[in-house]
Amino acid sequence: MTAATTHIEPVIHLKDLRVNIGRREILRGLNLELRGRTVGLLGPNGAGKSTLINTLLGFWKPTSGSAHVFGYDVKTQARHIRELIGYMPENDSYIADMTAITFVRLAAELSGLPQGAALERAHESLFYVGLGEARYRKLGAFSLGMKQMAKLAQAIVHGPKLVILDEPTNGLDPQARVRMIKLIQEMRALGTMHIVICSHLLRDIEETCEEAVILKAGQVVHYSNLEEERASNRRFVEIETEGDDGTFADAIERLGCACAVGPQGRIKTVLSEGIEIRDLYRLAADRDIQLRRLNYRRDSLEDIFMTAMEK
Amino acid sequence: MAVYKRTYHSYAGPLTNPLWRFLVLQRFAFKAVMKSRFLLIGYLACFIAPVLIICMLYLNQNASILAMVKQKPGFLNIDGRYFFNFLNFQAVCAGLLTAFVGPTLVAPDLANGALPMYLSRSLSRAEYILGKGMVLGAIISSITLAPLLLMFAVQSSLVGYAWFIDNFYLFNAIVVASLLVMSVFILLGLAMSAWVRWRIVAGALVLGSFVAGKGFGAVINGVMRTEKGYYLDLQHLLSSVGGSLFHNAAADEPISALAAFITLMIFCVGLLLLINRKLRVCEAA
Repeated sequence: MTAATTHIEPVIHLKDLRVNIGRREILRGLNLELRGRTVGLLGPNGAGKSTLINTLLGFWKPTSGSAHVFGYDVKTQARHIRELIGYMPENDSYIADMTAITFVRLAAELSGLPQGAALERAHESLFYVGLGEARYRKLGAFSLGMKQMAKLAQAIVHGPKLVILDEPTNGLDPQARVRMIKLIQEMRALGTMHIVICSHLLRDIEETCEEAVILKAGQVVHYSNLEEERASNRRFVEIETEGDDGTFADAIERLGCACAVGPQGRIKTVLSEGIEIRDLYRLAADRDIQLRRLNYRRDSLEDIFMTAMEK
Repeated sequence: MAVYKRTYHSYAGPLTNPLWRFLVLQRFAFKAVMKSRFLLIGYLACFIAPVLIICMLYLNQNASILAMVKQKPGFLNIDGRYFFNFLNFQAVCAGLLTAFVGPTLVAPDLANGALPMYLSRSLSRAEYILGKGMVLGAIISSITLAPLLLMFAVQSSLVGYAWFIDNFYLFNAIVVASLLVMSVFILLGLAMSAWVRWRIVAGALVLGSFVAGKGFGAVINGVMRTEKGYYLDLQHLLSSVGGSLFHNAAADEPISALAAFITLMIFCVGLLLLINRKLRVCEAA
């Protein structure tokens, strides 16, 4: 399960990680090496996603095996790891009587920022997540979407190297969800932090992540490099033709593309290097063939997830 | 705020020492507690008795003023009993303040799951308890330990070195007894705040612990014709230790100071375990 073979220290490195809670084994020998900028953590309820996050934060100790974040051992260097992490919990995590600015400032000071810097960063973070105008309001009076944004602000206020977002779009209306996704995409584009997103919503992961890890019953059942998947999907084309006498597929093959012919003029092809869609249009025009439909394959994360769940 | 700052950038400035970050919790919690005017008035009222007592200590040694009421200097006998009674009075005030302040410390963090926000940073559960406990510690020590030490210093300076040497045991007694009162109240306040959601109920339970302990103890003593019931009476246990420290123990004291001290320590450890258990459950929620 390696994203890419590089010499850079992996963000998260799990080696036969097992975690028991009580007598129950929750994580069953996870092996994983993640280096991507944004990683999606997927899995059904009870798959062990939250336990994995809590283990990375040092809340649960590994029963056996090891877990490292930026090369630091979660067993012995949890405190140091926490200095590098910003965590946005899934559930409510705020103090109702506190104003947003005090809350985020408190988070910043607890992360080690001096008082002046903490206050400045709290203002900046709240403006960044879109709560600038509401920063002097009490958190208890915030809407669910605003609370989510406040949680995000406290997670990023100290400039962490790794941000863990647990269900960031939970309970958000479509507008707020789009705003949250946009923020995550912006954070990814900044390139200053790695992001781990734990979500049930496959679309969220698809829109924000470069890598996806699917957990099931405490085990990694699938690792997917979404960037590579997207790139390969862009080369796989499904065509439906009208007026083809059977020569179109041959012509495509002569271009060097693998081709499979289906019923009713349907053709599936993988475009080889240097061949673009316009070449197919040109071939069709030369043979006076109508292209009734042309689709890129959309092997969506949902397909990947469903396949992984069947394993 | 400048428009250029309305974007995100990573932080590269200096960081504070991780060992002292729990003081941040103490500072924020103390500010929140002192926002209540009612509590502030109550807190300030706790200084009335110390001010009066210190004035009395001064008057007790002021020959010219005492002459006006036909008294001689030192007409009040300032000894262990005097200090012990004053500590008892201030401890009652401390108990009342704990009932008001204690429930506001941990409960708001647990009510809306703010604990993971604290503990996902480089802050341990022990530091969290220490930070929150220091709020009560500061309040209680300022109305027990500090005024008693001030009284001791004032009396020593007024009467002289001989009194200071003769009564030096009072210094130790003040420190140990005040720390004991603080430990019991701090842990009781935090435990009730952690386990009881409603502030009023938590506050009532802080006071109720003393009343209930006394009641149960009396019932056990009455029904079983024993004196073991006193081990449930927190007030009695504190008085027993305090009386011994201030050389003011009752002749017919049913339990020894050592036994009372050990019982109080067991009680404190129990409270600490209770707080830790609750925080452990909530930190990874």
